[in-house]
Amino acid sequence: MTVCKIKTLKNNIRMSTQELLQTIYKKIEDGVTEFDIEACGQHDIGSAVWNKDGKELRFHVTNPGQRVGGMAMDGVKILVEGSAPADVGWLNSGAEIIVQGDCGDTAAHCAAGGKIYIGGRVGTRSGALMKHDPRFEPPEFWVLKNTGSFSFEFMSGGIAVICGYGCEDTTSILGNRSCVGMVGGTVYVRGNVKGLANCVEQTPLDKFDKDFLKSGMPEFLKSINRGDLYSELTDFSKWSKIIPLPKELKEKKIPVKEFISKEWFKDGLFGDLVEDDGEVFTLAQSGKARLRKPVWNPKLCVECDLCKNNCPQRAIIKQDKTYASTDEKCIGCGICAAVCPRKAWIMETL
Amino acid sequence: MASVRINELHKGDLPWIIEYDESKCIQCGRCTAACSFNAIYPAAETRRTNSIASKNKTERVLVIKQNISLENYCRGCGMCANVCPNGAIKAIRNKDDKYSVVYRAIKADSFKKGGRSNLNTEGRTLDKIKVGRISQMTDPSLDAQRHTFELKTPFGRVLKADKLNFDIRDGEIIETAQLPPVRWIYPVIFGDMSIGAVSWRMWEAMAIATAYLNEVMGIPICMCTGEGGIPTKLLKSRYAKYMILQIASGHFGWNRILKAMPDMTEDPAGILIKIGQGAKPGDGGLLLASKVARYVQEIRGVPKADLLSPPTHQGLYSIEESVQKMFLSMNAAFKFKVPVAIKVAASVTSVSVYNNLLRDPYNIVGGFFLDGLAAGTGAAHEISLNHTGHPITSKLRDCYLAAVHQGRQGEIPLFAGGGLGQSGSFAADAFKLICLGANGVFTGRMLMEIAGCVGNDTGKCNACNTGLCPAGIAAQNDNLVKRLDVDKVAQNLVNYILATDIELKKLMAPIGCSTLPIGRSDALITVDKHISNRLDIQYGC
Repeated sequence: MTVCKIKTLKNNIRMSTQELLQTIYKKIEDGVTEFDIEACGQHDIGSAVWNKDGKELRFHVTNPGQRVGGMAMDGVKILVEGSAPADVGWLNSGAEIIVQGDCGDTAAHCAAGGKIYIGGRVGTRSGALMKHDPRFEPPEFWVLKNTGSFSFEFMSGGIAVICGYGCEDTTSILGNRSCVGMVGGTVYVRGNVKGLANCVEQTPLDKFDKDFLKSGMPEFLKSINRGDLYSELTDFSKWSKIIPLPKELKEKKIPVKEFISKEWFKDGLFGDLVEDDGEVFTLAQSGKARLRKPVWNPKLCVECDLCKNNCPQRAIIKQDKTYASTDEKCIGCGICAAVCPRKAWIMETL
Repeated sequence: MASVRINELHKGDLPWIIEYDESKCIQCGRCTAACSFNAIYPAAETRRTNSIASKNKTERVLVIKQNISLENYCRGCGMCANVCPNGAIKAIRNKDDKYSVVYRAIKADSFKKGGRSNLNTEGRTLDKIKVGRISQMTDPSLDAQRHTFELKTPFGRVLKADKLNFDIRDGEIIETAQLPPVRWIYPVIFGDMSIGAVSWRMWEAMAIATAYLNEVMGIPICMCTGEGGIPTKLLKSRYAKYMILQIASGHFGWNRILKAMPDMTEDPAGILIKIGQGAKPGDGGLLLASKVARYVQEIRGVPKADLLSPPTHQGLYSIEESVQKMFLSMNAAFKFKVPVAIKVAASVTSVSVYNNLLRDPYNIVGGFFLDGLAAGTGAAHEISLNHTGHPITSKLRDCYLAAVHQGRQGEIPLFAGGGLGQSGSFAADAFKLICLGANGVFTGRMLMEIAGCVGNDTGKCNACNTGLCPAGIAAQNDNLVKRLDVDKVAQNLVNYILATDIELKKLMAPIGCSTLPIGRSDALITVDKHISNRLDIQYGC
């Protein structure tokens, strides 16, 4: 089968994206499986195409527009010689996409399958919203150098490998505020990382991680023609991984009560100024919490017992012609004073 | 049998009428025991009996009655209903209330109350403003839940880039003179309520919430002490750095502050010179003797008496002098390392004051706090509460635009307060004021409400001046103050700020701001043409 070569600039007239894609569709329909495209910024090259007999489709592209390999499918291989602008591999569902140079913003955005290999650096918000459908292999996103800020926002699955090659002096190979809202997946990083969102944690690699990186590295490096870096990049001393924190750790609030007992003044802020043991009074509580208390006047009392019999708290006791209200029971309601025919009880405000 | 005369106070004059259902009452006495106003009492009532067998044609029954008294009257706080096991008692608003008229007629005195004005409850400007600029297509909007936001605002004198005392020597930036201090704080300040105006438990709960939000949640919120001083213990602790010390015309508490200074390990967050307050402009503070508890006497250095702060700082006679003298002294208090701001009641003249401050040649004016007429207070004459003051929104806007016209916005941060959250929308109010030019807002009202204040803008309770606060917030008596659960109030204050934080982000995100949209009035629209003209924001209909 011959390679289909498409030059998208003829006599200084540029083929539109629609013309180019429709040419490709026609050729695929005719059984072509290999393309060599000299693009002029046309979008969506390699997007949503497949061979009806299940054969592999190959694209060799130079100077693509945005979303090269966007919505690309299983059985598609795309090689971009040089760099590519934004959205490389956007919504990739299974293709292998190689960009030998740098990528613009949002590379691998929403990728849910396939492999994306980048031989340079990628822009902001790369790897955002990557996902993993457990019925298929997770998406892989390998980058030789670094990413821009806000990368891996809302990532919910898949694997990203950011090798930090040549970025040893960079303050953060993920820029600032990366991994905001990340709830799943793994980002392997080699080098300094700063300004990560607080919903993730950066931890050392375990054996599984190292085995994964060792086994995937040769294919990645080969695809971007940097096989020479294998030993440098499989020295795991500078590697770590970023994974989402479990929900309970994200909400690491301690109750205020605990803060008070551990950090606050032992006898309260006003402990040296007022007497306060911290007891909380309820409404209509007896004892010290009362607003008023009854005072008995023996000179007026006729011993009718109405106070004693009507007290809802059974707080009034009579002993040898003497009445008294028990502080521990009395809530200060004033019923004793109300029922007394002689005003022998009066309520005193406390 | 009580005689009734026309020229006296009658039950029908009272603001609240007690509705009592005898058939449900079990005579447990809880309602009368719980009533801090002594507005209800148990009474034995004489009734006719219908029994033909009985010789005695009357009987005595126990009921709950309402006091008809100028002093002990129902404020509608609802504690009786809260505590009644059977729902037998409740306070009903009296539409025909003329209590304050009778009070004046009998007492020959102006009527005083606490809380807030009850005249300004409708047609709030802030409720007629909407966040109308949604940026989803025009510039990236943000995800309020998951993106990171920086809710910080400067407190302190911000110098323009060309006025910074920087020089470059050997390729390094060096400070040639001490820069004016600037703190980056949360745009909500716990607004100045004094020890005395509020109970020690309420004040402590606010201080705990402040410390917790800073140290556990990383929210750099500040609390202003109010003019009643600050416990020495707090001043000497690491928490001092979250406190804005207030000095008002009464100058209460500063003796202890000075004595504690050598032992302080942290500078305070700032100093707020209080000239006036929005609830009662033209007045100084007012703390009635009933609330001057022993510890309040100690901290303030006063006897148990009505404490009236003078209407103005007695050594200040002009705007210029306040800048030169008061700002200088307060800057000097902490060796020019602590930002000093001033708080005034919003007024027709606020812009002149702000313009004057903007000319500050010494870089010592660290903030301008404007307090609007819907603000609350511990105690005021009703006539001041209801009839003096200026709405906050247009005055804040005027000040901001005055600075914009000189190209000097942001140099002296503006903070606005007074009635925020009145219609239940604190975060929205704060956000809108920030878009109109405020660097941040301050609130006391919300803290009260969160703590369990039962008062409202339509005459419920508002008895903060009496010392009989049924919630223990504005009381000073042991038996009332200890109704307040410090742990719970502190937790609720924290929770409310966390909720506010989420809600502020929910408004910042759609307009695409991850930092505070100070002065971003293009984000706002109003459905009222007059407001549109006055505030210079888009009209939408």
